[in-house]
This record gives sequence, structure tokens and C-alpha cells, in this order.
Amino acid sequence: MSDELVSKTLMPGSSSPVVAGRSELAKSTEVTREFLAFELGSENYALPLASVREILKPPPVTGVPRAPRDVLGIISVRGRITTVIDLRRRLNLEERPLSKASRILLVDREDEIIGVLVDRVHQVYRLEPEEVEYSNVMGSDASDHFMGIGRPRSASRSARGAHALDDHSILILLDPIPLLRR
Amino acid sequence: MTGDEGSGMREEFLAEAQEIVEALSRDLLIVDQAQKEGRVDPQQVNEIFRSVHTLKGIAGMFGHSAIGALAHGLEDLLDDLRLERIALTPEVLDVLFEGVEHFQRLLQVDDGAEAGIDFDAFAKRIGQVLGAQGGGRSGDPLAMLDLDDSVLSVLTEYEEHRLRSNVESGVGIYRVRLRLPLLSIDSSLEDLKARVKPVGEIITYLPSMEGGDAEHIELVVLVASTESLRALGEAIAFEDASIEPVARRGATPVPPRAPTMTHPENLAAPPRVPVETRHEMATPVPPAGQNVSFDQLSVRSVAKTVRVDIEKLDHLMNVVGELAIIRSAVVRLSEGLRNTAGLRELAIDLHRINRGFERNLLELQNGILDVRMVPLGQIFEKLARIVRQVAREHGKEVRLVVAGKETEVDKLIVEELSDPLMHIIRNAIDHGIESPKVRELAEKPPVGTLALNAYQKGKHVVIEVEDDGAGMNPQTLRETAVRRGLLTPEAAAELTREEAYNLIFAPGFSTKSSITEISGRGVGMDVVKTNIARLGGVIDVQSEVGTGTKFTITLPVTLAMINALLVRVADREFAVPITAVQEAIVFEKRAIRRVEGREVLTLRGATLPICRLDELFGLGRPQEPDRQFIVVSEVGARRMGFVVDELHGQQDIVIKSLGPSLQKVRGFAGATDLGDQRVALVIDVPALVEELASGNELGRITAGGYS
Amino acid sequence: MRAFVRAVLEEWGDAEVVEAASGFEALRVLPREAFDVAIVDVNMPDINGLELVSFMRKSAAHAKTPVLMISTEAAHTDRERGLALGANGYLSKPFTAEALREKVGEILPGRREG
Repeated sequence: MSDELVSKTLMPGSSSPVVAGRSELAKSTEVTREFLAFELGSENYALPLASVREILKPPPVTGVPRAPRDVLGIISVRGRITTVIDLRRRLNLEERPLSKASRILLVDREDEIIGVLVDRVHQVYRLEPEEVEYSNVMGSDASDHFMGIGRPRSASRSARGAHALDDHSILILLDPIPLLRR
Repeated sequence: MTGDEGSGMREEFLAEAQEIVEALSRDLLIVDQAQKEGRVDPQQVNEIFRSVHTLKGIAGMFGHSAIGALAHGLEDLLDDLRLERIALTPEVLDVLFEGVEHFQRLLQVDDGAEAGIDFDAFAKRIGQVLGAQGGGRSGDPLAMLDLDDSVLSVLTEYEEHRLRSNVESGVGIYRVRLRLPLLSIDSSLEDLKARVKPVGEIITYLPSMEGGDAEHIELVVLVASTESLRALGEAIAFEDASIEPVARRGATPVPPRAPTMTHPENLAAPPRVPVETRHEMATPVPPAGQNVSFDQLSVRSVAKTVRVDIEKLDHLMNVVGELAIIRSAVVRLSEGLRNTAGLRELAIDLHRINRGFERNLLELQNGILDVRMVPLGQIFEKLARIVRQVAREHGKEVRLVVAGKETEVDKLIVEELSDPLMHIIRNAIDHGIESPKVRELAEKPPVGTLALNAYQKGKHVVIEVEDDGAGMNPQTLRETAVRRGLLTPEAAAELTREEAYNLIFAPGFSTKSSITEISGRGVGMDVVKTNIARLGGVIDVQSEVGTGTKFTITLPVTLAMINALLVRVADREFAVPITAVQEAIVFEKRAIRRVEGREVLTLRGATLPICRLDELFGLGRPQEPDRQFIVVSEVGARRMGFVVDELHGQQDIVIKSLGPSLQKVRGFAGATDLGDQRVALVIDVPALVEELASGNELGRITAGGYS
Repeated sequence: MRAFVRAVLEEWGDAEVVEAASGFEALRVLPREAFDVAIVDVNMPDINGLELVSFMRKSAAHAKTPVLMISTEAAHTDRERGLALGANGYLSKPFTAEALREKVGEILPGRREG
């Protein structure tokens, strides 16, 4: 079901240069309006839809000794060995065991597809420019991977599914390249 | 449809061109050797000329203008050479070797610009060599074309000029034969012009007396195009039109390159390709008795080899891996059935069928592995050129002795092996082999010898690089390590001779000069070692002051699918490549002794260092199991016992690399899909043995890299 | 250019002039009619004049038709080739009416008096 969610909306700009750095993003806002929202702890995050290749129910993950701490391990995605990172660990959030709602997003990091473990996937938001506040206007202490804040206004746009956000929620928009940098 | 076929043609061209360039390279080395000994075989030079000539021909035909132009330039030089208008000097040889390298680069990158080749500079070099000897050919390129004088005589100056400049730049010339109704000839020709324009240039239209009548006229249109015959045919796609390449004739008749099977009725057919043809490789068949053009022949010989993308083979290997997994599921099922009352018969049948399946699967797997195998000779030739070049740069004389170039290794290994070997060889010439003067003082022959020796040893391939140079002094190595801050003087003094030699593989050890300013890559021997370890191999070095140095590289024959021992440590499953496993024994905990802080066992009289994988990998478990096993591994001359909890039997596995994000994690050669969504890490035994064996001072220094 | 030639020839002596705009038009015309003389420009948009001469010389009907080639002054090779192929005369551009009359007169059998 979640796979459908992506494939239906992925088409526009799926090969667009969203995966560029933040400076590039200002120029390419046209194609970065679509975001996949997901939940991590009590916060709602979102990645540019074009960078998300697939959403998986977590298969058994094989731990890799000696790997960096935020690497959960490896899985096989149709025969391809894929590294999975625990986004909670990467963002220094409190760890939590997998739940039924946990999902792995396969995110394109230019040279590699990385699995990203999240608590729950919400939906795709199409954000108008006035609904996005880019982090370069938020001050300089934001981390590299914080692209900005999204404030979806209309409830009608988030009507899909039971886990839609309420009207007053904000989305923390993440930039996949710095986020998943080695 | 053109996309795939176009690339198919291109690959066929590349395959053939590769073969020619390899032959060229071989012949050139023979001539080089002969030149040194002062007995050059003119036939050999002619052979080289012909290779380049053929290359130019097919390059023109397949529209590879960069290779065509390069071949064209070299051809002039070679023509003068074979007609003995100029002498074969080392300078001429240098240019020829350089040319071969350019060809090779072009074949790899497909594009002159990408290859970073300065064609103008190279042309200038050829000019210089020719000029220096008063050579230089003013041969008319048109004379090379298999065109009748009757055709040439009706060309206007401008048309001749266009033809010449196209031929000179290696553009293919084609004859397009058309039969057109006189009434509508203008519109037909407008149409033809429009179709040719994107793919080439019309040189001229020649009305022909044959095939015409009051209403029709037959025309021969000369077209210059960088497209292949097929692509041009598809672009033109004129009813009743036929296209043939205008052959380039060699000054010497070129014998057929391959035996050709031609049916008598085909021999009578006119040498044309109907444009509408959709057959594979519409090859023009030469009429009997007519001078056979090799352009046509080379098209035919191409069909004998197929170039396969290694990824396609990987894919097939993955499928084989999947089949192997399915097979083991069926085996489990049939074993289950056997114990079920009333189903024994069925189980036996299933078992038998499964045995047949297994046999065929094994054959399929071996077949694919076999396709991936290429002889080491491929890189040896490249290395021979490096030897020559580096020796010249350093004013040294080096004789290269090669043995076992027919030894086959997985394509991937061969590719990855090229750089490390090149580096070792550069080092051997740079630092190992002395200058002729020094050698004479040492009462050695002035010409140094570099031996490259490859052979298969069980499931491994051994490559030795041995020089008869100055050798390495362990004391000097110790001092260097101390000076570079790698070791304390005390620790250095404790190193054995062997350990001292192995210092050259330590990161940061390479002296400035060994970072080879020549290659400019800044690669040290530590990188060589890492690269070889990545291939699942080990490198050892032995040396004797005054006598020489010998590097021994031991590699697995194949990387793709390996037989592995599956083991369990704590709650994890790991695969240990069987090639690294000598035996598995029950772990007798009482037999453990401690030597220099490390656990060892005595196994059949020899000391076996022990490594507890759970500790090494930081895997916790509630309590250590009562019963454990030791997997005894041997890599090169080193042995190591790995302690594991369970042995799960052998299985063929396909090793898949870990992603770039885990590249820095040491100790794993990759991972493998065991089916049922299970993934196991494949232990990189050589890397672990290395890591643990160098667990002395040096090991602790390099251990900074582990996380 | 063609108009100039036509005018010169018609004015000169009661000639019937058939024009062909291109080599192919010439090819179309040639099998149908006989000519006393053919005036051929080397540089035509499709087949060149040399090819046309070569074609004419090979065809039974025009093997003997006198041909006057016209080309630019500098093109010596074109001139030599044309003559070698069987052209009877050669005239380089630009030319005067007088020169044209003279050349045509030279190659026209039985019209020498003009």
C-alpha cells in the first residue's frame, strides 16, 4: 500500500536535481515542492519525494560489526545489499524498538541508495512556496541537513489516510545529501 | 530499434578493434626486442602496418573517427617504415608504443576528448620522427580508396577535395546505388539529400549506363559518412537502393582474416546490401574473382566474438544464486517427506530429480564463471610497455621475462590487479634494479631482469614479480619506519627480518620517491596491499640485499560465486570462503596457551593463533556455549584459528559488495543473500589474518583505522 | 547565365535552344532528342558536368554530340578532365558573347562559316 503511495506521485521531477545541496535547492524549488512526510518520535519530518525510491516494511536487518553507530545493518533489496541507517540514531533521538508501523525508506544519496528507518510514514505533501520557510532564513545554527520548515495549511490536502497531520503541525524538511553523508 | 542494434554494432567494433590493438601491441613488443638485438623482421613490421590499416578500415566503417584519424596518422609512419624509407629507431618505436596506448584509451572511453589525448601533439610527434629521418609520405589518400579511375576522372576539383578531406579524416565512403524514374528524379534526389544530410555528406552523383532505360536511370551516389553501414542504410531507406562501403585498399594485398564460408550461389550475388534488409549483419559478399576487400571480411569475423557487459554476467550469477537457494529449499522439503509415512517413494523421486538439477546448476555456474575468466596475459602486455617506459625514464636497462600469461583469472580481478602490479613494477625498476654502471661494479649483467610469473595453485592464482636488483636492507627499513614516526626505535629493533620487509606496506611508510612522481598518483605500497586484500588476496615480500626482491601475490581465481562455510557466532550468521578454510575442529578450551598475550593452540605440532570472532566483532551473548569450533584458516604462509559457535555446512554463495557507506569497515569481503530475507556477512579472511598477524607494534598503529 | 547563352545563340543563328536547369533535367532531355551541340557547365546542382559528359559519351545517341564545357577559370583539373572525357571545347567563366560564338563555331561541324 505504501509502495503505491510513492509510485503514483513520484513521476513529476523524479529525476530532477533535488538531490543537490541546499544552495541548489533555492533554484529548484519548483521540483522540491513534493515531500514525503514521516514520523520520528513526536516530530514530523519530510524528505523530498523525488529522493525516495521506495518504502519497505522492514525485513530482518543483519547487523554489521565495526560499522558506524547509526548504521542499523544491511538488508537485501531484490538481491542488492543495501545499508540501512537508523534515523533516530543519526538525529540523536532516543532509540526505540521497531513497531508495526516502522518503515524503511530507500533514499537516493547520489552514489548509493540508503535505507532509512523511520517510525511511521504519513503522506505526500505538495507545499506551496509560501508554506515553506527555508533554513537560510531561520538562522545559522541549523544543521546542514535541515532544509527548512514546512507548514501545510490546508487540511484538505492532508485528507489521505488516518495518520494525516492536524492543521497546526509543522514538517521538518530534511536534505537527503547532507543527512546521509558518510 | 536502432538504439540497441547501434550499440551492438559498436560493441562488435570494439571487440574486434580490441583484438587488433592487442595483436598490435604484441607485435610491437616483438619488434622492439628485435630492434634491440638488431634483427628486425620486415614481415613483422608489415604485420603492424596491416593491423593499423585494418583498424583504420573498421574504424571508418563503424564511424569511430578518433581511432580512424589516429590509425591514419600511424599508417603513414608505418608505410614509410615498411618501405624502408625511414629506419626503425627507438624514437620511432616510442611513437608507435604511444599510439597503441592511445588506441587502448580510446577503446576504453569511446571518445577522443574524454581520453584526454592531444591528437595534434601526437601528429606533431609523428611529423617530427618522419622529418628527422627525411621521410614523410605524400601519398594521396584517394589512392587508398577502391574507386575506379573512371569515377575519379569525373569528379570536379571540389568534389575530389571533399572526398579527399573526408578520407583523410577517416570518414567512411559508401556507394549508394539507386534506380530512379527520370520523371520524378528531382524530387527523389531532394528526398535523398534530406535523408543523407543528418548522417553524412553527398560527394557526387554518378549516372550509370547500366540498369537504366528510357524511363529510369541508375545512379551511384558517393556518400561520406561516419555512420556504420547499417545506420546509413536505415537513414537512407530508399526503395531499390543498395549501399556498400568503398573499400580502402592496402598497398599489399591483405589475405582473408578468417576462413569464410561462402556458398557458390552467394558468390555470384552482386556485392551489395539491399537497404531495406533487416537481417543481422548484412555483409556484402564479394563476387568471385574480385579483389576481396578486408572491410567486408572484418565485418564477418566480428560475429565470432561477443562482448558481454560484466553486469549481465553478474545478473546471471545472481539468478544462479537464486536457483541454488531454491534447490536447497527443495532438498529440505524432500528430506522432510522422507520421514513422512507413505511419501518415501515420492521423496526418493524428488531427491533424484534434485540431483539432476544440482548437476546442471553446477554446470551453468561453471559456465558463467568460465566466461568471466580472462588470461593474465592481457595485463602482462600492458605491463611490458610500462617496463619499457619506466626503464627509459630512469636510464636503466631491463629485460622482462614473462611466464604463465595464459593463467586465467576472473575479469574483475584482472582489472583491479592492473594498478597494483604496475606500481610494484615501477618500484622494482625505480628502486630495485640498479643502473648499468652500478650493476657492472657489482659484477652483475648490465641488463637487469624483471620476472613476471603467474601460475595457478589450487583455487588460487599466484603472481610473482621478481627483480635481480639491489634488494632491501631490513636495517634501512627499520630506520625509515622510526624516522617516519611509525615505530619507536625499540619496537623497530625487535622486528624480525620478515616483519621489517613488511614495513613497506605500512601506511605512511612510502618514501617520497616511492610515491612515484612518474605516475603522479601518490600511491604507496599500503594502497597496493589494500587493493589486493580487497580482491581477497595477500601480498608477501622477500628480499636479499644485492640479489633482488620478490613480491608474491596470492589471489582467488574467481570472485563471483564461491563455496563458503556458514558459521554462527552469537546470534549472527557469517560466511567464510572455503578457499580460506583448511579444516574445522572442535575447540578444546583446555588446550589454550597464552603466548605474548595472545591465545594459541598447538595443532599437529604447529602453533595456531586463535581469534575469538565474538570478541573481535563485539558480539555479546548471555553465556559462552559449552561447545565451540575452530575454523582453521590459511592465507599464504599464515594460519589462524577462528572460534565460532556453530557450523552450518557449506553453501555456494554469491558475494555482493557492501555499499560505499560501509567501504571503510574492515574484515568483510561483502555480504550474501541466503534466501528467506536472510543476509550474511562474508568474512574477509585474508584481511583478518593480516590484521591479527600484524598485531605487534605495527598492527596497533594501523589499527587506528578500525572503528 | 543560361539566359545569356540562349540569347547569344538564338541571336547568332536561328538555333533552337533547349535548356536544362540541372544535370538530371539534362539526363531527362537527352534520350528524347538529338542535339547539334551541348553546352555543359561543370558545376551543376546535382550531377556535375563531367559526369554528364561521361554519360553522354557512353550512350549511343550522344557519343558524338559535340560538347562545350564551361567552368571557372581556376579549375584546371576540371578542364583537363572534361577534355579527357571527350568534351570538344572548353570555356572559362566569365566569357563574352564573342568567345561563346567562337567556341561553338569551333566545335560545330559544318557551321564554320559563322
